[in-house]
Amino acid sequence: MNLSKVFRVAGREFASTAMTKGFIIGALVMPAAIGALMPLIIVLTMSAQPPADTGTVYVLDRSADVTGTLSDRLAPENVEARWQERFEKVKDVTKRMLPSGQEGTLDQGIANAKSIIRYPNFRVIPAGSDTDIDELKEEMQAQVAAEGKARGDIETVLAIIEIDADATQKVNEDEGYGGFQVFLRPKLNDETIGEIRDGVKWSIRQRRYENAGINRTQVLEISEVSERDSQEITAEGEKKAASEFTNFIIPIVSLVLLLIASMTGGQYLLTTTVEEKSNRVVEVILSACSPMELMTGKILGQMFVGLSLLVVYSWLGIFALIYMERQDLVSLSTIVLIFVFFILAYFMFASLMAAIGSAVNEMREAQSLMTPVILLMMLPYFFFMPVIRAPNSMLSTVTSFIPPISPFIMIMRVASNDPPPVWQTGLVILVNAVAVVIFLWLAAKVFRVGLLMFGKPPNVRTLIKWIRMA
Amino acid sequence: MSQAVSMQGVRKTFGPKVAVEGIDLSIPEGAIYGFIGPNGAGKTTTIRMIMSILFPDRGELSVLGKKSAVESKDRIGYLPEERGIYKKMKVGSFLMHMGRLKGLDRSGLKPRVMEWLDRVDLADVHKKKCEELSKGMQQKVQFVASVLHDPDLIILDEPFSGLDPVNMRLLRSLIDEEHGRGKTVIFSTHVMHQAEQNCDHIVMIHHGKKVLDDSLDVIRKRFDPRALLVEPIEGTSRSHDVALVEGVAHVTAIDGALEVVLDQGVDPQRAMRSLLDSMPMNRVEIKRPTLEDIFIEIVSGGKRGADAEQLRAELFAETPEQEEGDS
Repeated sequence: MNLSKVFRVAGREFASTAMTKGFIIGALVMPAAIGALMPLIIVLTMSAQPPADTGTVYVLDRSADVTGTLSDRLAPENVEARWQERFEKVKDVTKRMLPSGQEGTLDQGIANAKSIIRYPNFRVIPAGSDTDIDELKEEMQAQVAAEGKARGDIETVLAIIEIDADATQKVNEDEGYGGFQVFLRPKLNDETIGEIRDGVKWSIRQRRYENAGINRTQVLEISEVSERDSQEITAEGEKKAASEFTNFIIPIVSLVLLLIASMTGGQYLLTTTVEEKSNRVVEVILSACSPMELMTGKILGQMFVGLSLLVVYSWLGIFALIYMERQDLVSLSTIVLIFVFFILAYFMFASLMAAIGSAVNEMREAQSLMTPVILLMMLPYFFFMPVIRAPNSMLSTVTSFIPPISPFIMIMRVASNDPPPVWQTGLVILVNAVAVVIFLWLAAKVFRVGLLMFGKPPNVRTLIKWIRMA
Repeated sequence: MSQAVSMQGVRKTFGPKVAVEGIDLSIPEGAIYGFIGPNGAGKTTTIRMIMSILFPDRGELSVLGKKSAVESKDRIGYLPEERGIYKKMKVGSFLMHMGRLKGLDRSGLKPRVMEWLDRVDLADVHKKKCEELSKGMQQKVQFVASVLHDPDLIILDEPFSGLDPVNMRLLRSLIDEEHGRGKTVIFSTHVMHQAEQNCDHIVMIHHGKKVLDDSLDVIRKRFDPRALLVEPIEGTSRSHDVALVEGVAHVTAIDGALEVVLDQGVDPQRAMRSLLDSMPMNRVEIKRPTLEDIFIEIVSGGKRGADAEQLRAELFAETPEQEEGDS
């Protein structure tokens, strides 16, 4: 094999795929742009919030016990105070997650949120216990039908609350407490509805505590158990324990990175191969280099396409982790293994693509042969949950040794919080290396025969015949 | 003289179909050879085997003194019949790419590309994308791609198909020029008069077998006609009288003239004299056989008349460019 020809083919392959506007925009600029636009999108969705609801809430309190507490709870000044408190809490939590030196941005963000989020303004009107609820409902219905009342009008009936007679006092000791029901005007803000229901629940509970003679503050204090961040005592010393979230995120990101990089390269390989064949340029090229040189060059060229994607995306991921000061979540060995497994997975996938591309006359015919390959590539997704839950179970271990899905399963195990022993990783790499050689060898046979075959699109049986023939 | 290409007993099958059946061939260096035969005869398969794109099932083959073309690809220029081009690539970069693939150095490659583009009247297109060119222009670019690296052996599969007369003449003169520089040229065509115009040696292939392999002169002599073409002043109505002249076997009217086929062993010179004596003539000449005639005669086993005409129609009907596919 003439290496300079191989590299020449690889160079053209890479240039014609990766150095095009479409690729740079689609694969590199778009994700970056989406990332940059994310805050803008959030601001836009938030600013699209409807104005705050203002209006009347009727309370039909059959227990004649809750109205006072509820009126107080829903009073405008108390609603506002609770929202302010909520903002402060969000600010505290966020501050702990952000790296130091970002308080200015945080204050700005909270101020923005305060100006955007509108909490409702209620007027609570107690209805006499002998009021017919249907009358209230009819009033609300008439208002909704007339559409006359604007959102800002305090006369607008927002809700009717019906509280059961036994909501706060048991009538019969053997049975539970009664409850309540809310009738809402359509299209209210989520904040308004939440405020009303939580208000009723809170007030009913408050009355139950008081009637039972229990100190609510005391109950809250008793139920609150504080816990500091868990630590793992490792051989190297104490370190922050991985949370449910981090257990998940690193393996799935590694898997997706691997899949995207190897599938992108493979897909492009299929397209360019089919193109060369349907263009009939392939025979011109074959007069200058052998089919093996052509195939090797093309596979290498597209490998660099996938590799450049992998480098850019993994660099972005590492950057994000550094920004969140959680670079401890991935180890250098995981990153190195992502690249190793990429090469192995890509070569197997690319062999299949090269074989298919050389066998068909046009993209349309490739579809039927592609289906099994795509299904194969979907398999790692199905194994995601069981593998993450138990990275060293029998299922995880066995599937991680079966090419061509082996690299995808193995990267999840390696990136999990319970990585497999090093000898397994080494053995998996060895098994895959052998598989790569077999895949390439078979693909080369189909490639040699297929390239100059025009006419009836082949099926799998024909492909096997070609393998025997070559 | 050493051989540019030699084949002994080469056979190639595709499944049950025999594409090439035991071809022996030897093409000396510096020769210009024409492979002729109707569509599907096995020309392209033979050429692909010479190019080591296909490999024979049986038989010996050597190209430029090597066991196969694989070892001497850079010394061969090949214009396949199924020619393609990278549509999105610029003409200049495509030719540079092909040149580099053929082992040329980067230095001096660009001027060489420009010079060749100039020679085929395409000096101003090197920055255009290949897909922007007309079909004929693309074909010239492809021809340049096949000769750019100054190959010793040039193989052109149906080089003239799809070209207008002006470009056909241009291509013919370029081929002659390369031949004049001592390069070996092989080209195939199913349009036989093209081969007559360019080649000094003809190889005829039919149903995968070589049916003729000789220089054009020898072929012409061997298939020395027993046919004359006469045009009586009084017109073709005198055909009956012409048929009565001594030595005439039979007479057919063709395009306002009469084709006169002579009996075996009759000297054409004497027959011409007798014909001139029999009546006033506008024209009396020996009918030179075209390669097509010769081909028909060979494959029909010397049949004449209606049978031969039917065969001619079957084999050489100007069908739209047929795909030879894997034949």
